[in-house]
Amino acid sequence: MTTAVSAGRPSAVTARDLARATATRQRRGARLKLWAGAICTALVVLPVTLAGVLPLPGANTQDLSRRRLPPLSEGHLFGTDQLGRDLLSRVLHGGQVSLAVGVLAVLVSGLIGIAAGAAAGFFGGWIDAVVSRFLEAQLALPLLMMLLLVVALFGPSVTVITCVIALAQWPEVARLTRSLVLVEREKAYVAAARVLGLRSWSVLARHVIPNVVRPASLVVLLLLAQAVLLESALSFLGAGPQRPFATWGRIISDGQDYITTSWWLVTLPGLVIALLVVGVNLLGDGLRDRTRPRSGKGA
Amino acid sequence: MTPTPHRVPPPGHLTRRTVLRWSALGGAGVALGPLSACAGPTGAPGPGTLTLGLNRSLVSLDNKLNQFEAAVTVQRAVRQALTRIGPDLEPQLVLADRFEMTEPTAWTVRLREGVCYSDGSPVTVEDVATALRMYGKVPGSFLLGLFPELPTVEATGERTFLLRTERPLPVLDRLMANIHITPAKANRPEELRSGLGSGPYRVVRANSGAGEYTLARNTRYWGRQPSVEKVQVRFVPEESSRVVALRSGELDVVDTLTPDSAEQLIGLPGVTVQENVGVRMCQLFYNFRKPKGHPLADPRVRQALTYAIDGTALVDDVLTGTAEEARGVVPLALQGAVQTGTYAFDPGRARQLLRSLGADDLRLKVIWESGEFAGDTSVMEALLDMLQDVGVRASLQQFQPGGDILKWRQGRAGNWDVIGNGYSSPTGQALTMLQGMYGGTAEKERTGDAFMGYVIPRIERQLSAAATEVDDAERDRRLAEVQHAVWDTWPSLWAFAPKTLLARRDRVQGLALQAINSYDLTAIRLEG
Amino acid sequence: MPKYLARRIGQSLLTVFLTLTTVFLLVRLAPGDPASAYAAPNATTAELARIREQFGLDDPLLVQYGLFLRDLFTGDLGTSYSFSSPAFDVVLDRMPYTITLAVSAIAVTTVVAVPLGVWMARRADTRRELGANVLTIAGQSMPDFWTGVMLLTVFAVVLPILPASGFTTWSGLILPTATVAVLQLALVSRLVRREMTTALASSYITVARSRGVSESALTWRYALANSAVPLVTALGTRFAALLNGVVVVEVVFGWPGVGSLVVRALETRDYPLIQATVLVTATLAILVQLLVDLAYPLLDPRVRLGKAA
Repeated sequence: MTTAVSAGRPSAVTARDLARATATRQRRGARLKLWAGAICTALVVLPVTLAGVLPLPGANTQDLSRRRLPPLSEGHLFGTDQLGRDLLSRVLHGGQVSLAVGVLAVLVSGLIGIAAGAAAGFFGGWIDAVVSRFLEAQLALPLLMMLLLVVALFGPSVTVITCVIALAQWPEVARLTRSLVLVEREKAYVAAARVLGLRSWSVLARHVIPNVVRPASLVVLLLLAQAVLLESALSFLGAGPQRPFATWGRIISDGQDYITTSWWLVTLPGLVIALLVVGVNLLGDGLRDRTRPRSGKGA
Repeated sequence: MTPTPHRVPPPGHLTRRTVLRWSALGGAGVALGPLSACAGPTGAPGPGTLTLGLNRSLVSLDNKLNQFEAAVTVQRAVRQALTRIGPDLEPQLVLADRFEMTEPTAWTVRLREGVCYSDGSPVTVEDVATALRMYGKVPGSFLLGLFPELPTVEATGERTFLLRTERPLPVLDRLMANIHITPAKANRPEELRSGLGSGPYRVVRANSGAGEYTLARNTRYWGRQPSVEKVQVRFVPEESSRVVALRSGELDVVDTLTPDSAEQLIGLPGVTVQENVGVRMCQLFYNFRKPKGHPLADPRVRQALTYAIDGTALVDDVLTGTAEEARGVVPLALQGAVQTGTYAFDPGRARQLLRSLGADDLRLKVIWESGEFAGDTSVMEALLDMLQDVGVRASLQQFQPGGDILKWRQGRAGNWDVIGNGYSSPTGQALTMLQGMYGGTAEKERTGDAFMGYVIPRIERQLSAAATEVDDAERDRRLAEVQHAVWDTWPSLWAFAPKTLLARRDRVQGLALQAINSYDLTAIRLEG
Repeated sequence: MPKYLARRIGQSLLTVFLTLTTVFLLVRLAPGDPASAYAAPNATTAELARIREQFGLDDPLLVQYGLFLRDLFTGDLGTSYSFSSPAFDVVLDRMPYTITLAVSAIAVTTVVAVPLGVWMARRADTRRELGANVLTIAGQSMPDFWTGVMLLTVFAVVLPILPASGFTTWSGLILPTATVAVLQLALVSRLVRREMTTALASSYITVARSRGVSESALTWRYALANSAVPLVTALGTRFAALLNGVVVVEVVFGWPGVGSLVVRALETRDYPLIQATVLVTATLAILVQLLVDLAYPLLDPRVRLGKAA
């Protein structure tokens, strides 16, 4: 043990001990994740939102004489695609669609999920039965196929794809909300509110939901990550907005035809997706680590 | 979850741990069961095995419904027809050794001496008659659409018969190349899942669900025995996977290459890319259902728009030289096709003409189904750019396979202006294709069946006159005339005839790729 | 217990039934026409009408539904349009491939993820563990189609040592398994870490440790055994999801499983085939979930079925 440090302190716990304590390490880990997550996310989100003002060639400007140039050539940082369009510009403009779809989908699924989950947890009975059946059915369904079907049904527009992803995601929120509400329902303040003569639905809306929204909203970032992945998978399978709109999944699926000669057409867009999703996941993870009520009773 | 006091299980009783252990064992068994049922240890083609990688799944080896060009190669190796389309698109005799037009409406056919199925039983006249009847009963068959009418069989001897038609059918010898003969007893009006054929190969293993087949030499084949002992047919849906698998030697032959895969494979050591002219026409066809007064109803507008398309760039850069810009209304490789004109690229002229015709504020909606032709999406996206350059605002609508494009084509759904469409002529005849595309009548149009609404009575009359003309020279003259007339109506914004492309490992020798995108398996030798 | 089982099975049947009904309606409401997908591109309207009649598609929706239910109860799922053979058989032909891929992916996941998760829990919050943690996050963040294409590029194009597509050799299983496993691995190892951190911090571990039980026994026999229920639940759920077909991975690797079958059935609007696929996969998935639930008392004698939850 180093004794030099402890001189000015009335405790045997040295600064080094503190630095090595689990709590400190956890905090440090969470902070690191938050920072790394924020940086990764910003690296993607900032250029994507600024795509319109950055000095880039248009996403659909073709130059058939400059097809499939490798990265870093002639002012094309990411190279060009099979029609001589700037890949970076396409990835960034495509990202706007993916991000918008992701954010909207999470909002919609969050609303539906919290409403359905809270109602199921609070009222129980047939509402719970119905919601639970839906949750179970969703596990049993070939999800991607259903999504493809729904997209086929209503046509591949941004709105439809947003709704479809929300449809796929609400059970996650609902399940969590339901379990939170089940706990919350038994608490004294609910009984008190009832005694005061409030009707069930207003107890739920005014007292219970505000108490579960915060923990439930923690999954939002994780859902956003999933939504981005799902959107790209759908457009990879052909269910994306109409051409020549660039979307991440479509850039990759088009580029797949050139894997033996033009690696960048698949690799770079994929890296951008991965970077964004890693960033968002790290953020979500970091936030959860931070707000978690000291799991494991302080191991 | 209430904790229970610890109990010692009575002896002989099934304990929790035993159950766990047994179920783990059982689980492992269940897991390994399906594993061993699937794949054998052999994957790379052996010395005597030829492996083909098709990009579409071969549901059966019958062709009553499943008609895509590359399938013909495999289908014909098992089941044969009376004739076949030869390398120069001329009919050749197969099961028949005589096939002649003896009257304008009757053909005399004689079956070859000694032709038999793989079980040794002979091919009979009855089999031919039954086959024709069965093909006739399949609704929605592509082949049926090629026949203006199905001939009837009139037996005149043990091996000879007459094929009779109501009206003269001068191309019957070519059409009959599509009617595969199988024993009459086993033939049914549907795709046959199994059954005998008279071809050089017989099926030893079939998994139609996965589109995989193993063919072995038919030891009782009536003709010369093929050199390759075994043929493995595989379905590889992803084009990039086919390229990779051919590179690594996992596949020996991949057919119907896309322009991009051809570009990736040309020049690779150990791989040869073969090409031939094609019998397919890919068009950006105008909507001919536009009301009078609509700009597109005016042939001059249709012509003006064609000047916006840089065909050379599309062919060289987008289709990487794997197609030829159309110089006629059908591919020039077809019998009876003539050159009628060329597309010119002159955006200035396009703009000026459109302005003078009062159509400078044109908006076009271009529709097509994914995979309608190779390189479809790139062509369409490039097209959009070119139209924009002459001030035409175009939008794209891509349909997924299985979607509603047919309704749109028939004019029963949304409004569109240009459609990307591919049309093939497996008979090698210009006439078949011309009739299919330009033979629309008012009656057909009532149900939306005229091709893209193309109904021009003058042209339809010329076509039917040519179709029933028995004299070859006169028929060709009439056909040439009608093609010029069609060209002058400017039916397409742009058109091209894709070449037939195939890549093979160098160990595959003797492969002669035909224009109909098929080749004779019996001619192939394997080296090394 | 029998009462619980009966109730669970009843619920499961209801779920399958509702799922099937939804699919039945959805495919028929979606645009597209099985007849035009079945027939040649040059088929006439009259021919298409004949095909629709042959498929029984010109009846009112309710009649079609009635007939579908009647056939369902006699075990007849109809004839696939594009394969012209019983839809159920077509699905069964493809099932072994999907099961193979699911089993091998889950096996790899279990073998790698459990030790990894345990290691992460024991070294929780150290620098190295943080690295592994971030790696697992990266693993669950990569789009699976992209992982697949990248693996394909590396192991089939750059170093051509593995087959690119299909399942004709055993080595063809490696790349799809790896692609599926990357995601599962990340999810499961993180779950193990979470459960194990909690378990290792419990008082019974402290008590056992004070009695001199070895660290390895503490980890594997005490803590892991207590994390078995959530672990098995997670593995079961993942396995059930994989049985539904890993559509994207199957498409990328040309894997002849139900996932790619579903895509194809959708493209040809093969209604009976879509319905049969959904029925088989949904039943299997629910069955796996049921088995997992039934396994709880075996894994944890404190669990009494029907009382919990």
